[in-house]
Amino acid sequence: MSPLAAELRATLETTARQFHELVDDHMETPWRDFLQAWGELREAYILKRDDEGAYFIETG
Amino acid sequence: MANTGFRNFLDDLDRAGELRKISKPVDCRHLSALAEQADEATLFENIDGYPGWRVATALVSTRKRLAIAMGCTENRVAFEFEEKSSRPIDPVTVTTAPCQEVVMEGDDVDLTSIPLPLMHLFDGGPYISGTFAVSNDPEYGPNVGCYRLMYRTPRETGIDLVSPSDMRFYYQRALDKGEPLPIAIAVGVHPLDMLAASYKAPIDTNELALAGGLRGEALEMVKCRTLDLEVPADAELVLEGELLPIGWTADEGPFGEFSQISGDVKWNPIFRIKCITHRRDPIFYMLQMPWENDWLAAPVTEAAGLQALRIASVQPVDIRAPVGSCGYWALIASIKKRPGEGKNAVMALLSVAEVKYVVVTDDDIDIHDPDELDWAIAFRVQADTDAIVVSGARAKHIDPSVKAWELGKGGLPTTAKLGIDATIPEGVPRILYRRIKNYGRDRVKLEDFE
Repeated sequence: MSPLAAELRATLETTARQFHELVDDHMETPWRDFLQAWGELREAYILKRDDEGAYFIETG
Repeated sequence: MANTGFRNFLDDLDRAGELRKISKPVDCRHLSALAEQADEATLFENIDGYPGWRVATALVSTRKRLAIAMGCTENRVAFEFEEKSSRPIDPVTVTTAPCQEVVMEGDDVDLTSIPLPLMHLFDGGPYISGTFAVSNDPEYGPNVGCYRLMYRTPRETGIDLVSPSDMRFYYQRALDKGEPLPIAIAVGVHPLDMLAASYKAPIDTNELALAGGLRGEALEMVKCRTLDLEVPADAELVLEGELLPIGWTADEGPFGEFSQISGDVKWNPIFRIKCITHRRDPIFYMLQMPWENDWLAAPVTEAAGLQALRIASVQPVDIRAPVGSCGYWALIASIKKRPGEGKNAVMALLSVAEVKYVVVTDDDIDIHDPDELDWAIAFRVQADTDAIVVSGARAKHIDPSVKAWELGKGGLPTTAKLGIDATIPEGVPRILYRRIKNYGRDRVKLEDFE
């Protein structure tokens, strides 16, 4: 997993975040790099959604 | 090559002063927000991180630009659509196509090479919002529709297949056999092609021939590189792949819906992409929500209303699908009425797709003037006899009032519909509606006394 994907994973294991909140935190990251990292999380099939559409990752 | 392609339309808009060109570099995360602030359609000529790509958007976000696409005046759009769609022209197949100048297959497939926009605050990811989706069923034949795609991975997207549609039907048939459904997605086609694709036609209707009728010339199609499907040759971008046989199990959304609501998370199939083709100098088309979708929906809804009225032997004079109803949920029509036809017209219009609110007036009412409409409802309607309520009709998930969240995954909601017959009631003399008019109004002019 790329460092950016690992960072996103760590964030979502801590708290549920809307997609735009993750984007807001990485505005300096080239868009294509962000999408590739996001794709890594999707390919791992670990993303869950809460009632408001925010993403999170269950731990344990 | 056809002269009614996507790029021809951009030229048409440019000539009409309806296209703003932005040459400064723009981040994909800001394309939609910038386009929303423009009065014109927008062509972004420099996309940060995506050399060689341009992005066009909001091409038909007003009725004026839709009329340019249709080649008629604004108040003729519905009638033009009805007239041209009655003269379908079969598509022709060509062997070479601009949309296949660049080909990515196998490990080269990478959606992140395309400038996918993040459009709205609560979207579940970047979206491909304006698609011309082609599928096929061995029994029912080819079908075309418009479906949004949410980026998941470099080779996968979600696809909104929640609402009833022919492709949903095709997918269900493939799913019942445990098979994927091959589909091809063309992006960047003429708005007339998008209109044909979004038309709620009977399942045996050839939308490609309908597109030809609207264009006035045959749509040129080319065989996909990896599928036994054909796509418009002059498209900007094509995604070839299949809907995985997983049913409605993958999260998709929210997305800024054409109902002007952010929507919620839906459960949908996954589209796996096997091949991407595009032009050498591609223009990505971002369908700007909600207005572009609403103005594309309006003539389709209006034409369906005209057709329903004619089938009911009612003579329509004017019709509109108000933009406040997103061009989809309401129909207002005026008719040349014979006794009883106010009610017939209401029932006919209520049968159109998911239209849930209908008003029918006589032909002396200008249905484009809300004050006129209110006047007709105020003085020609008795609620206990002139309002019709129908329960349990087909609905769309994105209407919060149908409580779609109470349904299981893949479930279909229903709705109640309201129709108002605002025509002059039978037995009420027409003279009682004689409008006031100032004495001498035709003889004197105010400017002569200044």
